[in-house]
Amino acid sequence: MQKKQVKGYVSFVLHAHLPFIHHPESEDYLEEQWLYEAISETYIPLLLNFKKLEDEHVNFKITMSLTPPLLNMLDNKLLQKRYIKYLKKHIELSEKEIKRTKNNPRENELAHYYFNRYSNDLYVFKDIYNCNLIEGFKHFQDIGVLEIITCGATHGYFPILYVNELAVKAQIAVGVQTYEKYFGRKPRGIWLPECGYVPEADKYLREFGIQYIITESHGILYADPTPVYGTFAPIVSPRGVVAFGRDIESSRQVWSSINGYPGDFNYREFYRDIGYDAPYDYIKPYIASNGVRVHTGLKYFRITGKDCDKDYYNIQWAKDSAEKQAGHFLDCRTSQIENLSSIMDVPPIILCPYDAELYGHWWYEGPYWLYILFKKIYYDNCNFELITPGEYIDRFPSIQMSTPCRSSWGANGYSEVWLNPTNDYVHKHLHVAGNRMVELANLFPNEAQNSLKRFALNQCARELLLAQSSDWLFIITNGTMVDYAKKRIKDHIGRFTKLYNQIKKDNIDKDFLHSISKIDCAFPEIDYTIYSK
Amino acid sequence: MPRKAKTKEENSDINKDVKKTSNKSKTTTKKTSSTRTSTTQKTSSKVAKKVQNTDKKSTVKKTTTTSKKTLNKKVPSKKNKKNLKTIRVVKTIKTKLKRAKLFANLIEYYDLPYSYNQTVIKVLAQTPTILFVYWEISKEDRELLETNYGKNFFNSTYPVLVVHNLSKNYHFEVPIDDFANNWYIHVPDSKCKYHIELGRRSRSSEIIFPNNYLSITSSNEIESPNDHILFEELGNTIYYMNVKNNEITTKDIASLSFMKRIGKIYNIYDLYKKMYKEQELDLKNPSSNNPTSTFR
Repeated sequence: MQKKQVKGYVSFVLHAHLPFIHHPESEDYLEEQWLYEAISETYIPLLLNFKKLEDEHVNFKITMSLTPPLLNMLDNKLLQKRYIKYLKKHIELSEKEIKRTKNNPRENELAHYYFNRYSNDLYVFKDIYNCNLIEGFKHFQDIGVLEIITCGATHGYFPILYVNELAVKAQIAVGVQTYEKYFGRKPRGIWLPECGYVPEADKYLREFGIQYIITESHGILYADPTPVYGTFAPIVSPRGVVAFGRDIESSRQVWSSINGYPGDFNYREFYRDIGYDAPYDYIKPYIASNGVRVHTGLKYFRITGKDCDKDYYNIQWAKDSAEKQAGHFLDCRTSQIENLSSIMDVPPIILCPYDAELYGHWWYEGPYWLYILFKKIYYDNCNFELITPGEYIDRFPSIQMSTPCRSSWGANGYSEVWLNPTNDYVHKHLHVAGNRMVELANLFPNEAQNSLKRFALNQCARELLLAQSSDWLFIITNGTMVDYAKKRIKDHIGRFTKLYNQIKKDNIDKDFLHSISKIDCAFPEIDYTIYSK
Repeated sequence: MPRKAKTKEENSDINKDVKKTSNKSKTTTKKTSSTRTSTTQKTSSKVAKKVQNTDKKSTVKKTTTTSKKTLNKKVPSKKNKKNLKTIRVVKTIKTKLKRAKLFANLIEYYDLPYSYNQTVIKVLAQTPTILFVYWEISKEDRELLETNYGKNFFNSTYPVLVVHNLSKNYHFEVPIDDFANNWYIHVPDSKCKYHIELGRRSRSSEIIFPNNYLSITSSNEIESPNDHILFEELGNTIYYMNVKNNEITTKDIASLSFMKRIGKIYNIYDLYKKMYKEQELDLKNPSSNNPTSTFR
């Protein structure tokens, strides 16, 4: 292999997040499946592809945020058990599919494929990772190819929560504590929930040792003063938080719903699923418990084209497309870096942040595309290398000072997604609950360990954090699963308020507290005193 | 699209909207609450039924799964197999019962309170030029106003929001009405500090305040986000921080060649703007337009 002439860097950041969904009281919540689908379609495929690269001695670098709610769910014994149940049901379904499709060779081949895939998931999850995928990710961090960063405790949207700044402080504190618990060290970076940046949060980011953040492109482009190299070099805020901005060109190539990579006609069609296509009585045991047809994950068709009959999915064709696109991505970055490096006095960094669940769940071939791309970058004679933001800072520590622009990566770049007439009623309640939590923490500054009151105060903190999840607001705006999101807000605010009143009257209902602490069991080590002034 | 309070003329329409929606929301909450209670009852009875059913179901299921498993392993004697089976079944029933017991007593239904009986006004920035305001006046403060200014206080005055731009030092007023408890306000300037006052003005000569204005409460202070590239503020010197040792250095960028470079960088962004305009997508990549959005 020739020695590369490195003129710049590309940094992939995958944001892995799901809201905390845990219902020991019932198995009927469809929303719980989001986790199982994400494990099968995104997290396990990513781990397997990383493993392949490791085995093939391909040196690669990638950054991932694993959010605290996701870590809590991956670590949850009940959800692990239910995931195994989910897999067994899918294996059973694909067995039936092998029989049902025996007269259709193309469907039959895919039924076999799904049978193997889900069986392999079960083997990987149970036997290789011992139900502990966090350890799987930690391994890649420990060998130096993956940099894991943290996130706000429950993905609370800072620009709106900041009305009560201790609420933001607690989001950061619990995010960092959760990270330390699972990875045994402090996080260097944080994925700001929804990339929501407010300069006022910098002091807390620094207090908890955060070195860098990721912002949307205009977080850098509209910064004050103007960054001389745009998003192609990081900036550092007056308080010392380094900000990396999303690259526009590479984002478009992957994200665009019109001509982005995931829309390739050979790729698997997400919206055709046997959950909708198979005979009702046959598929009934594998769809929603109330009989509503939903996705099962078994999909037989490719995108094929616009407004046309769908052709069967062909795994080899899909792989060919992924390989072609990986080549295209590599060529584009090479010429981008060639052009930039001639006008910059530091090597440019092209930052490519994406939702992790895009890879595999939505873009089924995404993990394979990453694998091929990383291999190509390693072996081809291109002018750049992969890097993590942390390593970039280490190598090029002299950074232009500038305050990033208040921004987010939501529609239109500011706060409309989380604050609009569909969900604006929520913020009043979040603000009041936040103030009440601070009030409680100051009223009871040092309750004895193991006392009922401390237990209740800690549960209050959990309820508040869970209510603050930006996901509920997002879902309401988006218009799907709205009832669930609204109920979650009501439940957490309701439980919080009930406990708040009980604590103040010194009349704590032990059974109630016990029951809700089994449901809302995220952050077992939380310490409510983070809310005291 | 967000509801926006735009001009004075449009406000009357908006008020109607607000009234309508508040009525609507009342009826819907009633509905949901009635159905909710029935569902909780149902679910609790369901739980009880489930517990009964689980005995049967789990035994049937378990026999099939355990027999499969044992096939692959060493075949134990029939008696052992039976014992194992029953132990497992008893265990699962026990845990299920325990769980059912734990949550059977948790019958809960919550609604968000309409008011917290506090006198407060809060302002949030929705976009660089739209602020969202919500407010409330406590019962005690309402009574106090009526004692001070007469029983007819609220009828003979109307509420206004006074928007103060603290960066550019101007203010303007948005008349609102007592049916609303929140408002979207257009402001002319991005990247400015604002705070908002909730006050009242007299409708008639019945009540007279100094300057015809009575301040009720004042909001938090916020800065609206910036929405453009700040070339004009760049100056001739830029500052660098070495994040390893916090050392700060400066660089003179007044030279023509350096300005040319910056120009080249930002030309790239202009190019993007033109390129992506054709796709009807602007510079800011919306996550809610991306395909992963419906996952969450």
